[in-house]
Amino acid sequence: MKLLTHNMLTSHVRGVRPGGGFPLRIQATEVKVNNVDFNQEFVARMIPKVEWGALVEAAESLGHLSDLPHELPPEYENKEDFLRKVHHVLLEVEVMEGILKCPDSGREFPITKGIPNMLLSEEET
Amino acid sequence: MEKEASQLEKDHVHNVYEKIAPHFHDARYKAWPKVQQFLSDQEPGSLIADIGCGNGKYLHINSQTYKLGCDYCFPLVESARNDGHEVMVCHSLCLPYRNECFDAVLSIAVIHHFSTKERRVRAIKEMARTLRVGGQMMIYVWAMEQKRRKFEKQDVFVPWNPSPPSWTLSNTCLHGIQKSIHQKDKRLALDQHSAKLAGTLKAHRQARSSSFVGEKETTHNLFEKSLRWSLFSRSLESVLDLSNQWHQRELSAFSNCNIQLDELNRGKLFEQIRQGGFMKHISNLSLGCRQNSEDNASEVAVEPGSPMICHPVPFKSCCSELGQDTKQPPMSPAIIHDCSRVCLPDLVSHQKDVKQQLKIDYHPKQSAFRQLQNRRKTDSSLQDTDNDCSMATWNKQLQRSPNGACLRYYHVFKEGELVELIEHHVPELHVIHSYFDHANWCVIAEKIHMWKI
Repeated sequence: MKLLTHNMLTSHVRGVRPGGGFPLRIQATEVKVNNVDFNQEFVARMIPKVEWGALVEAAESLGHLSDLPHELPPEYENKEDFLRKVHHVLLEVEVMEGILKCPDSGREFPITKGIPNMLLSEEET
Repeated sequence: MEKEASQLEKDHVHNVYEKIAPHFHDARYKAWPKVQQFLSDQEPGSLIADIGCGNGKYLHINSQTYKLGCDYCFPLVESARNDGHEVMVCHSLCLPYRNECFDAVLSIAVIHHFSTKERRVRAIKEMARTLRVGGQMMIYVWAMEQKRRKFEKQDVFVPWNPSPPSWTLSNTCLHGIQKSIHQKDKRLALDQHSAKLAGTLKAHRQARSSSFVGEKETTHNLFEKSLRWSLFSRSLESVLDLSNQWHQRELSAFSNCNIQLDELNRGKLFEQIRQGGFMKHISNLSLGCRQNSEDNASEVAVEPGSPMICHPVPFKSCCSELGQDTKQPPMSPAIIHDCSRVCLPDLVSHQKDVKQQLKIDYHPKQSAFRQLQNRRKTDSSLQDTDNDCSMATWNKQLQRSPNGACLRYYHVFKEGELVELIEHHVPELHVIHSYFDHANWCVIAEKIHMWKI
């Protein structure tokens, strides 16, 4: 699971207050870093779709903050150094094994072989 | 109702995919051009969700976008993951995504697996929730109006059949075809021969045009026809009619022959076919054929309303020739038992008034062709040494833990139904295009801003 994927994920366990299931806390037991070709335009276009705070928090929790600032810098579209860091965090850092934990309910979702299992039982939905 | 619907989908959608997942790796599951186009049309940097991604056949398209696949079926998701895709396991009615985070959403062959209208609406609404305003959603559902398949009812069970019955007759067929492919015009020879075998020469001659496409079409028709291996013309009610002896016989014959085919003579027969060079030919043809259908032409066997005829004798003889015990149908009682539990929420009230006598179409000559197709499939699984779930294993599993998982539930959509569903129940979506493609009704809809007062 890449951190860009994680940024879209939320928990909908019954009883969670609206928006309370985001962002899922990552407790990783195995993290992998892959090389992915850098595409400046792609990253620049992706940033507005990302919840920046959640990305920084996730990267930090994995020890891969890579100097990302807590606030999104202005005019980042042309700052290649910055975009490269974002690229690394969004696309190159992958959680292979671990759990995702709902910040509101505490419900845990396992990540196995890089695949989060987000299934809920019927009682939980 | 909700509980029954969910249970039905569990038994006849989720469990089936779980079992058939190992067979999804081959080339028959190809991307459809219009779906490919939809994905290619998305802007660079788009975030796209493929809900019900299966083994991820659409996830590689358009590398300028970021795609997230999800499916309920873990083995399929795992297979997509092994191809390097970003995927997860979840249920379509409860997507683990933020509101309005996607630029586009893909739903190919998913909504028809929900067994009540309410759940189909919910599934579409749930996808719409994750789509941003202005983003587009593409939905494909299986159509009731199909050229090559006719459905009696909208709610049907479609058997997934890895290995059709009766192969002995195909031995004759095999030799005939081996001979014929030595001729110069292989395509023509095959066509003629198979048409003869299927007893449909006349019809196909008429259908054939002088163009290449026409000829190809004919061969495909033939194959597809021959691939309707028998079985299951029915609506839910008919599946429920368990006193039906034809049904039981059909199932027992089916299971017996499945097993014996795999356990005996397999390698030898494949070798024969391979030497004849027929395998490649068949595989090309059937591949084309499959592209024409929903996801696997060979599995689909829902036939028109006219009753089919069952000849259990050939099955029997085929089995005894192989030295198999035909007395104990290992699978059928369990399947039938399982079917008896099946209760389709939408249609419960109709169950009592329909008592259809179901019979199978067992045509000895047609079955010959069926078998060739079957061998090809089995052969490919033999070649794939990584695939520990070969046909034999698979059939044994079926035999051991028969739970009726080979019947897949579909709600086939009538023309206009999908559009109606969206327009009347999902006001946040605006249908911008609807069409028919590969036996599916298809919609492209855009999310619009809803003014809340």
